[in-house]
Amino acid sequence: MLESAFMTLMKFVIPLYLLAFIIYGVRAFKGPTVVDIILAVDCLSFDIAAFMAILAVYFKSAFLISAAITLALWAYLLDIYIAKHLVSKEVGV
Amino acid sequence: MSEILFYLGAIMIIIGGICDLFGALGLLKFPNFYIRLHAATVGTIGGAVVPLFGVGFLALGADFLPHKYAIAGASFVTGIIVLLAAPAGAHALAYAAHKAKLVKWEPKVDHLAEVRRND
Repeated sequence: MLESAFMTLMKFVIPLYLLAFIIYGVRAFKGPTVVDIILAVDCLSFDIAAFMAILAVYFKSAFLISAAITLALWAYLLDIYIAKHLVSKEVGV
Repeated sequence: MSEILFYLGAIMIIIGGICDLFGALGLLKFPNFYIRLHAATVGTIGGAVVPLFGVGFLALGADFLPHKYAIAGASFVTGIIVLLAAPAGAHALAYAAHKAKLVKWEPKVDHLAEVRRND
């Protein structure tokens, strides 16, 4: 009974997330400066992490969640490296 | 009890999807990088943290899942990581864009200019 309610929920939620991914992708491709591209890729990564958590319930598999944690940490690492490069024109300590 | 947790998680996932779509539209339509940061906050906190906690509650309440405690715990951990990492990353990007003078804008008040002059 709860499983059929979850499948009905998925019919509403998956088009919302896919449309949001496409619009983030448009901004990531046509961003005027490099910080716009990095911000769009950042939002895209965090939302793919949330969508992978939903897909883990959909496919009944616990392995997708570990990839979601790695994806969230990678997006933060990308932010910090690009900011460090823009401030000091090098990546290092 | 488990149905209450399930429907609470479902409502949080729907709220997350709507916030995600509105954040994406704002990121596409807003004119400036510093204004786009606001839409990015809607898209990450409202569109990633809220559905991750929602997936945690939904997996705790779902009785058809085989590994429900693993999925719920890892979803809460991912939500806390995104909640801490997204504002820090956006702040670092804004500081770097201001420091490297990448974005043209006409501010009324610029408090960071004093910092730039002192360097």
